[in-house]
Amino acid sequence: MTKSIDLMSDEHIMESVKNGDLQQASLLFDRYHKRIFNFLARRAMDREVAEDLTQNVFLRLLKYRHTYNPGMKFQSWIYQMARNGFADYYKQQKHHMPMKVEVEKLMDQVPEGIEALDQEENENKLIRALAQLPDDYRELLVLTRFQHLKYEEVAGFLDMTVANVKVKVHRAIGQLRQNYFELEKL
Amino acid sequence: MSMGTEKWESRIIEYIDGKGTSEERALVEKELASNEAHYLLYEQFREVIHTMDKAETLQPSSKLTSAFETVLRQEIDNQKKTRSTVFFAPTMYRIAAGVIFVMVLLGVGYWVNKNNEYEKQLVELKNQLEENRRMMLARLGDQQSASQRMVGVSVAYELETPDDQIVEVLVKTMNEDTNSNVRLAALDALSKFNTEDNVRQALINSLATQKDPVVQIALIQLLVKLKEDGVVKQLEKLTKDASTMKAVKDEAYTGILKLS
Repeated sequence: MTKSIDLMSDEHIMESVKNGDLQQASLLFDRYHKRIFNFLARRAMDREVAEDLTQNVFLRLLKYRHTYNPGMKFQSWIYQMARNGFADYYKQQKHHMPMKVEVEKLMDQVPEGIEALDQEENENKLIRALAQLPDDYRELLVLTRFQHLKYEEVAGFLDMTVANVKVKVHRAIGQLRQNYFELEKL
Repeated sequence: MSMGTEKWESRIIEYIDGKGTSEERALVEKELASNEAHYLLYEQFREVIHTMDKAETLQPSSKLTSAFETVLRQEIDNQKKTRSTVFFAPTMYRIAAGVIFVMVLLGVGYWVNKNNEYEKQLVELKNQLEENRRMMLARLGDQQSASQRMVGVSVAYELETPDDQIVEVLVKTMNEDTNSNVRLAALDALSKFNTEDNVRQALINSLATQKDPVVQIALIQLLVKLKEDGVVKQLEKLTKDASTMKAVKDEAYTGILKLS
């Protein structure tokens, strides 16, 4: 039974939810809530905000289940809802966004060992360097480098060509490198 | 940045990602061995890319799961209520159910009176209601936690009839809460009390000030369902407002058509 549920596609589960079997939405929550939370936390640079926005995504999934188009890839649909939710938040907050990123609002683990300390230091720098990127560059890096989505998948829901995604990702990494090593000089 | 440098940056990133044909990789290796500046670039890209690869996966708190479970339960309950309404839809069923309900109430009233416990039960019930009310208002006022406020709204949703203070808090939550889910849940709770004049007026007033598109859409759908034709002008205003989202405008157009 468990195995057959595990093998069910996201699209099949979402169709069941759309047809009234709401309990199945738990499976989609289990599969996606950490990914969506990470996507939003890395973009908003704030865990509390990301939790609220993630909750909002799954609320919308339930409320607007009738709008799901079975021909559409579920992953694209849910990321699109997360992007819309973030865009609304960003619009409201852009005049109030802190100039200085509070890294502790994002990080939650105390590192152990020298290697872990180095990684933590580098990651702190990385968070600050990411925060200085334009939002569209940050989004592309979060999707392709932190969420490990393929260029083809990202191109699908950003409505871009694969070649364009690749060029922009490379430019974003280039800009990130500059920001990162500028911070090292401080 | 010259095109040449951007091209080399791109090749180096591909190289670190393990991509490219063996010829392309060999070309990059040759360049790195002979060009110190490009080798430095490679080292820097490698550090940045590896830091991204090894970045921790952030773990959400358990609040997220419990909030989702609350919302899911609420949605399943709503669905059940809708289904039972459909079941009782034929007029005869509704009349029969009404007659049975009145008879049961009369029977219970008679029995309670006969046993002289009516007053005692009424006091207990009042105490329980007051306790629920206090708990609900405290949770609605919790500025730190959206999930606690969500629980407060869920409790309000279960009430048969709200008093003025509860309506006032729910309206304030629908219009001002910082969390979109809580605003939407407050609207859901208020929609249940739509026969109260002050609730209907608050819903109409909210349409003019509400900025959250999700709440705007739900509000329009509700007012159309309630046949509030007085909101047509407000809907027209929304369709002309450049800051209104397209989905909201579409809903407003549909509302105008249905109400006009």
